[in-house]
Amino acid sequence: MSERSGRERELDGVLSKMDKRGQSAMFVTDEDYPVNLKSIPEPPLVLFLQGNRSLMRERKFCIVGSRITPPWAEKLGMHISETLTKRFAIVTGLAEGGDRAAIEGALPSGKLISVLPNGLDECYPAAHANLKKKIAEEGLLVTECAPNEKVKKYSFHARNRILAGLAEGVLVISAGKRSGTLITANDALDYGREVFAFPYNPGLSQGEGCNGLIKKGACLASGVEDILESFGINLEKEAEVPLTDEEETLFAILKECGEAHLLLLAERSGMQVFEVAAHLSSLELKNLAVKSGGNRYSLVNK
Amino acid sequence: MIAKIICFTLQGLEGVPVEVETDVSKGLPGYEMVGLPDAAVKESKERVRTAIKNGGMIFPVQKITINFAPADIKKEGASFDLAVAISLLKASEQLVGADVKDIVFLGELALNGDIRPVNGLLPILISAKGQGFTKFIIPADNAKEARFLGGAEIYPAHSLAEVVRHLSGTERIAPLETAEFVVARGERQSSSDLKFVKGQPMARRALEIAVSGGHNLLMIGPPGTGKTLLARCIPTVMPDLTFEEALEITKIHSVAGTLGEEGIVTERPFRTPHHTATTVSMCGGGNRVVHPGEISLAHGGVLFLDELPEYNRSTLEALRQPLEDGKITVSRAGGTVTYPSSFMLCASMNPCPCGNYGSANLTCTCSPAEIRRYRKKVSGPLLDRIDLQVEVDNISYDELTSVTASEPSSAVKERVDRARAVQRERFQGQSVTVNAEMGEREMTAYCALSEEGDKILRSAFEKMHLSARARSRIIKVARTIADLDGSEQILPKHVFEAVSYRIYDKMS
Repeated sequence: MSERSGRERELDGVLSKMDKRGQSAMFVTDEDYPVNLKSIPEPPLVLFLQGNRSLMRERKFCIVGSRITPPWAEKLGMHISETLTKRFAIVTGLAEGGDRAAIEGALPSGKLISVLPNGLDECYPAAHANLKKKIAEEGLLVTECAPNEKVKKYSFHARNRILAGLAEGVLVISAGKRSGTLITANDALDYGREVFAFPYNPGLSQGEGCNGLIKKGACLASGVEDILESFGINLEKEAEVPLTDEEETLFAILKECGEAHLLLLAERSGMQVFEVAAHLSSLELKNLAVKSGGNRYSLVNK
Repeated sequence: MIAKIICFTLQGLEGVPVEVETDVSKGLPGYEMVGLPDAAVKESKERVRTAIKNGGMIFPVQKITINFAPADIKKEGASFDLAVAISLLKASEQLVGADVKDIVFLGELALNGDIRPVNGLLPILISAKGQGFTKFIIPADNAKEARFLGGAEIYPAHSLAEVVRHLSGTERIAPLETAEFVVARGERQSSSDLKFVKGQPMARRALEIAVSGGHNLLMIGPPGTGKTLLARCIPTVMPDLTFEEALEITKIHSVAGTLGEEGIVTERPFRTPHHTATTVSMCGGGNRVVHPGEISLAHGGVLFLDELPEYNRSTLEALRQPLEDGKITVSRAGGTVTYPSSFMLCASMNPCPCGNYGSANLTCTCSPAEIRRYRKKVSGPLLDRIDLQVEVDNISYDELTSVTASEPSSAVKERVDRARAVQRERFQGQSVTVNAEMGEREMTAYCALSEEGDKILRSAFEKMHLSARARSRIIKVARTIADLDGSEQILPKHVFEAVSYRIYDKMS
């Protein structure tokens, strides 16, 4: 047996420990290293993975959003994420709000890649430890950090370049003026990927970043069709959910007003407030409406 | 000579007869008390001595032994004073010929011989009557509380001398006249009324359903939107107290010493313990004697917890079991006591720490993690027991062209009374009185869901990740809504409406 340096032994220890935890390393030279990522200016030389490694071979689409995301955008983001899993693996982070919507939409099908700003043995935010475990079991966790590396201020910036680099397109579902998600979007533009953003009402701080992206030339996405169209994908239409007459009426009013208060809906439809609430919970269960707090409701675009 | 006088002590709401035996005999002058008296009872020695002296009678300078029987119960409080004094007078042969057998003496003595009122008189009278005692001498200041007890001779006395004159037959005290129980309807209208609540149709509807079916209610909304005002209106739409209910509530308040001027509780209680309340003050307890807590004082009425997440977690968790059972058993060194605690829980909270989440014109400055932390302060099991959760919001009136006038409490109460009548008929001869109290057996009998209704629940179950308890709670609420609607069957629209009151589940 040849002499081995201390450094090599240490590396062996790390590798065997990773092996035990079902983690693996992917080098830039590996044949399953995503081509898209390899093409960016500074591709990570090694990626640490945990979970279903074959997801790296799939087409990938990135959905991100800031932590504070209005309920309608979360619902719509979730729906888009769920629909896109028919053709893509969804790439996102592990945070609240926008990331959470993407995760919840994609995780049931298992086609979810979560890119972490820290090592695989760490968890940020700590409250999402269970979610992280679930993704490792059903989807895939990816990071360029060593297993025990903690999250740093600058690691998000580096992580965002991987998000953008992995994906063919990026959808920003919410972003404030100085949101970190804009970094991902700008990276994606630099790498020549498609960028999509939800449109927001003027003056709504949670959407200033999204509107800014659209101003700069990002695609306006008001539904999943906008994204599918630009990739030339035709998915079979979902069967229309049958609505009762009252539900149709409320649906029409909501379509006209955007977000509306229960009282307004009651006044416009001529129904009692509690009847409106009952029909709205039916619409909610059919995934067509969403409560946005303060007894206000809005539609979920599909 | 030996004298025996009957007195009563309380264990919870149950009166227990205590015999005060006094022996006055020759020997070195002394004054002994035996039979587990507590400090307040022992101190009666001095009160009795001066009261007898100042009442114009003679305190015997002999060997005096006083025994309280049965000896194994702890005796507490000053309500034995009168009985001790009478038995002393009897034993020292100052009440020759007076018949004190079968008379129950209750009262605390002042140094000048006046009789002071005692706490817990009504429950004592009721238990004593149940055990066959019909003659009572009570403090005159307790007379108002006692006058609702029919079929007993009750003599309200002002002083020890008056009692002595009564017993020796020189000057009889006029027996108390029984009073008729009248529910305070007039007074109710003056304080809170739903007609003063502007807007808030959702909360009003939820309140109506909650009262109709005996459900619990949680109101979520930014500060200053009228949550407290709405809660204060709940007693005004609750069904009138029956005499039996009033007596039961009065008993508890009598023990706690919180009885008002009228001597009987005529209005449903509305208790608002502050969020600094301890578990003991909420559930009852005490050092030797177990006092009723807020939940027992709210028996038959409303317990309003303003700013629910601010309460001590363990205090809130302690509410779970009484919410299910309608009574609470408190064990202390002084004994184990069960108090009724069947109340309607009404709670209010802000939607987030800053209070502006979901507001139309103000921005919420809380992070999602902060909001989650705030909401997590209220535990799932407690929330499961709150059937109706409703948002109270501040809608700007510019958004509406017509603002309808608010309905007064009396109109709502009529509908509540009707729904309660339906339930009374349904649960005739059963221990259940309102929909919220239904168990599995009653639910299978009265809450059959149509196939469509079942489908709705199933999808709600999956979408909202509901617990099994939440499911049965939704069905019970749907039953109440159907009752308000005058419908025999639970229709899909009733289920949908019931689901719309689980907003907390939707939010998190």
